[in-house]
Amino acid sequence: MTTLEATEGQALPGFTRTVTRADLVRYAGASGDFNPIHWSDAAAASLGLPDVIAHGMLTMGTALRVVTDWAGDPGRVLSYSVRFTKPVVVPADGGADVRFAGTVTKVADGVATVAIEAVCGDTKVLGAAVAEVLLG
Amino acid sequence: MPISEDHVGRTYPATASYQVSRAKIAEFAAALGDATCPAYGGDDPVAPPTFAVVLSSAAWDAMFADPELGLSLSRTVHVDQRFAWRRPLRAGDEVTATLTIEKVRARGATSIITIAVDLATTAGEPLCTATSTLMHTAQEAA
Repeated sequence: MTTLEATEGQALPGFTRTVTRADLVRYAGASGDFNPIHWSDAAAASLGLPDVIAHGMLTMGTALRVVTDWAGDPGRVLSYSVRFTKPVVVPADGGADVRFAGTVTKVADGVATVAIEAVCGDTKVLGAAVAEVLLG
Repeated sequence: MPISEDHVGRTYPATASYQVSRAKIAEFAAALGDATCPAYGGDDPVAPPTFAVVLSSAAWDAMFADPELGLSLSRTVHVDQRFAWRRPLRAGDEVTATLTIEKVRARGATSIITIAVDLATTAGEPLCTATSTLMHTAQEAA
């Protein structure tokens, strides 16, 4: 395992993912979450949603790539928590662009705390997204 | 009887054992748009950290099937999610998941429910705890 260091305030490289309907179908199969609000226009409309929405866990899982891309070894992730504040609405045409970024907010006892941001349009779609990462 | 504070501490039997496979790890990594991460490929891959949801959500079924609680997945909103890992899941791990109701706050027809799902190998090695807050709205207002 290569050494991993971090400093408080360090910005981690971010990325943008365009989430399409096909991505939602793929995640439904991979995760086993076949809730129709993630693939059926009728189901989404019946709940008053403007369109189908991404699985919150898809957004959560994708966002953690900010940490795993940086850390290299996914086994360094000790904990990860998020609040699902707003849904990612995924139109049939073109999908939705979600921007992900991270900042090291604390380094103590060989563990870095990383605050992760996930933004779609002007909307923060994850709240209080924080991962703890083993350094050294 | 709808879900109430009386159900705090209720634990359901562990799920049937699930063997983590290389193919399922690759499928899950691809679904996260992370198919090229070397850790998720090769002969001895680890699973992406949030792969734990495949197992934790399977454990939800027992709670939603509990007739005493009167819960429905279609009236449930996932409010927040936390994972704490002891080690990554690996291809070949035989894993079970056990759900415990940790907290219930009921207000009218709406209940805020905190559940913890413990993932462990069939040999008893703890792997991960997945904690979720769910907001459930009963069909008919109290």
